[in-house]
Amino acid sequence: MGDGRGFSEALAGALIAASLGSMRQAHRAASVIAALCGSIFLLFLVAPIARLIGAGGADGLRHLFTDAELRSALALTALTATSATALAILGGTPLAYLLERRRFRGRALLAAVIDLPLLIPHPVAGIALLLVLGRRSLVGGTLLDLGIRVVGSPIGIVCAMLFVSAPLYVSATREAFARVDVRYEAVARSLGDPAWRAFRRVTLPLSSRGLIAAGVVVWARAVSEFGAIVILTYNPKVASVLSYDRFTSYGLDEALPVAAVLAILAFVPLFLLRTLRASRGAAAFVQ
Amino acid sequence: MIAAEGLSARVGEFELRDVSFVVPEGKYGVVIGAAGSGKTTLLETIAGIIPMKGGVLKLGGRDMKGVPSEQRNAGIVYQHGFLFPHLSVAENVRYGALDFTFADAIAKRIGASELYAREVRGLSGGERQLVAIARALAPRPKVLLLDEPFSALDPRRRTLVRREVRRVARELGITVLQVTHDFTEAGLLGDVAILIDAGRVLQSGPPERLFREPASPYIAEFLGAENVYAGEVRYLDDALPDFADDARELLARGHRAIEFLAGGLRLYTVGDAPAGQGHAVIRAEEVLISAAAQESSARNQFKGVVSEIATTGALTRVTVEISSGGGKSAPIVAALTTRSAQELVLREGSEVWASFKAMAVHLC
Repeated sequence: MGDGRGFSEALAGALIAASLGSMRQAHRAASVIAALCGSIFLLFLVAPIARLIGAGGADGLRHLFTDAELRSALALTALTATSATALAILGGTPLAYLLERRRFRGRALLAAVIDLPLLIPHPVAGIALLLVLGRRSLVGGTLLDLGIRVVGSPIGIVCAMLFVSAPLYVSATREAFARVDVRYEAVARSLGDPAWRAFRRVTLPLSSRGLIAAGVVVWARAVSEFGAIVILTYNPKVASVLSYDRFTSYGLDEALPVAAVLAILAFVPLFLLRTLRASRGAAAFVQ
Repeated sequence: MIAAEGLSARVGEFELRDVSFVVPEGKYGVVIGAAGSGKTTLLETIAGIIPMKGGVLKLGGRDMKGVPSEQRNAGIVYQHGFLFPHLSVAENVRYGALDFTFADAIAKRIGASELYAREVRGLSGGERQLVAIARALAPRPKVLLLDEPFSALDPRRRTLVRREVRRVARELGITVLQVTHDFTEAGLLGDVAILIDAGRVLQSGPPERLFREPASPYIAEFLGAENVYAGEVRYLDDALPDFADDARELLARGHRAIEFLAGGLRLYTVGDAPAGQGHAVIRAEEVLISAAAQESSARNQFKGVVSEIATTGALTRVTVEISSGGGKSAPIVAALTTRSAQELVLREGSEVWASFKAMAVHLC
């Protein structure tokens, strides 16, 4: 009997050890599969950009000195993207503040409407803008009568950039305001500040890093915009339209340097964002 | 003066309803209530941070309907201070001040000026509270709203700062309303105590009256009264017990002698409570413990057995089980100084007498 019990205990122990061993093996296998999937995904994201910069980066940087059209397209891109960012800040900041701080009827609907441009294909956004700002539209026609041409001008580019990137600004700015506890403003107001002064003296400085980051995101998105711009203003050409134009007119070899320069320039906002995030992490407003 | 009449406000699902109380000009009001009872909501409504839904609120006699927060001259201090982290400590203190010299003088009195060289982010919770108090006092507000402002201070600092805030408020004629969980603080500071629960004022008045004459058994228990008994009120018009002088005065003014029956306990008091079912409240501080029966004017005396002795520093709470026959017993809790308890050589199981005056029994 004693031997029988000893045997069954030994068998149970062996089964437990075996099942623990197989569990450990399953965990290890899952980790390996997860790492493999992640690596493939990362490669998928990085490889095209690395290949592009590798193939055309040096040539592209040389073109910056020799290719006047490229320089002009880059300058136009920077100018229009900066203008679109400035407009997004001007119009989007109060809107984001309103959506974050006030409770009113239709708030959720307003937030959804602002997000809408993010969901529609960008050429469709261009067509929609054309309907409102085109020569035959009420607004576009009136502006043209006043001597302001939207379609086929830098103004059209700014409009296209603003339309597709403004929702990103509003969303990121709302998040920046949400991080500032409303009681900071309450204290400032109890100390005699009217709402606008409390915003300027307290909310704005406390959310400034988030607002700058939102501006950088908008600027980067504006620089990379193509679909809406190409419908509204093909000429003068911004960098994205120029790279497309070179590709369709002259083939890959001619498009490569322009595309590579654009990819290299994308690192500027990326670097700025990383720096802002790092400093924000170091200076979290924790009470 | 802070005067609220039927004040109501709403924050999400929570509602402040029909709140009425008055803190006279230059006096110190304390708001007592459990967590989530609406204490902070009340302060924020008075400060104009949360809009009023109804009722009347007057600060310094002026109707606050439609008056924005910045024009109410009411400073608010939150429990966590909410110091502006992008400003220095001195800039925080001077934020709303017109006179920086005065702001610095207040900071010095409160003990915040010694923190001027420190970074806001490096301050402890208590230090933040000091700076926040100085910041709120610096613009010389007419009303000061304090949301547990001393909670993070160490006991010694708390006593000093509490005293100084009260002194500054008196000197400047500031009407103060402070939220606290601390009944001792409420008793020490308050000219007016307001007990709030689920967004409603349960009772308001001088703190002593709230503690001694709670309007309901719930209030009595909330305010820490250990001896609350449900029972029956009976008038003793024929056989008057031998009451003490203070009770006789009340009798002369038309009050009636009352016998209160709670289980096996038979309590005697004087009052105007209606006959029938009710509650009797006796604060533990009013109960005397002695080894032998008292020959004094204490009308209510019970012999019992000590069932629990709990010492917390200078105070000792002694629970005496009073046998009421038929195997039943009723507990009476007495609070006495630890020294007195030691002198009585109390042990669990000791036979003692618990006694209290007729006037110590409050019926509600």
